Amino acid sequence: MSDDIKKYFNGLLEKVSGLHVIQITDRDGVPLLRVSQEKNVDFALMPSFIPTFTTACDQASKLGLGRNKTIISMYSNYQVVQMNKLPLILTFVGSENCNTGHILALEHQVDGYLEDIKQAVTE
Amino acid sequence: METQLEKVLSDIVTQQDTVGALLANRQGLCLGAKGDINPNVSGIGMAISDQVAALEPKSAVSTQPEARHPTICLYSGNRRCVIQRNGEITGIIYKQHTAAPASD
Repeated sequence: MSDDIKKYFNGLLEKVSGLHVIQITDRDGVPLLRVSQEKNVDFALMPSFIPTFTTACDQASKLGLGRNKTIISMYSNYQVVQMNKLPLILTFVGSENCNTGHILALEHQVDGYLEDIKQAVTE
Repeated sequence: METQLEKVLSDIVTQQDTVGALLANRQGLCLGAKGDINPNVSGIGMAISDQVAALEPKSAVSTQPEARHPTICLYSGNRRCVIQRNGEITGIIYKQHTAAPASD
């Protein structure tokens, strides 16, 4: 099962041009699955990276616009798309000119594959 | 601010057989959508445009923008999806073929 999920996410990585890393963690930043191309983007695994997103997400949910689902961060060399799928956090790291709309469109496609991981985390 | 954009989309949607239209920016994010079209297809439409452009790599160096990014038409049942890129803007149009009334 795990191999299937990894294979699926590796396929996604190839489909979206400019995408370097897809990472699934729990809300504390514990890595559950990570697929990446050769490019070195280890900052996505920094201990403070995911908890900071969780905090930002919680704060953004207080803006009165409903529950925050996604945060897109654009940097000079990278873009980071983080999705709140509690108890999981889905992180995509791509190049600055990567197709953000395509990454966002993956949100509903991956739901089926995340269910198994979600169950494993909640158990 | 987006009045002009809304006007362009309204003009497109009022064309014959057109059921929906949207415009995407260079990041594949939807700038505006009108009619029966899901705004989430903006990113996928742009990805298709990029992939099709890669079929003919020689065109990438062409000075004509339409040669770099060809117009794509996807047929599906009685619907078709037209994707055209112009500079940083990608337009996606859904058309539905309405059968002409049978004449005696």
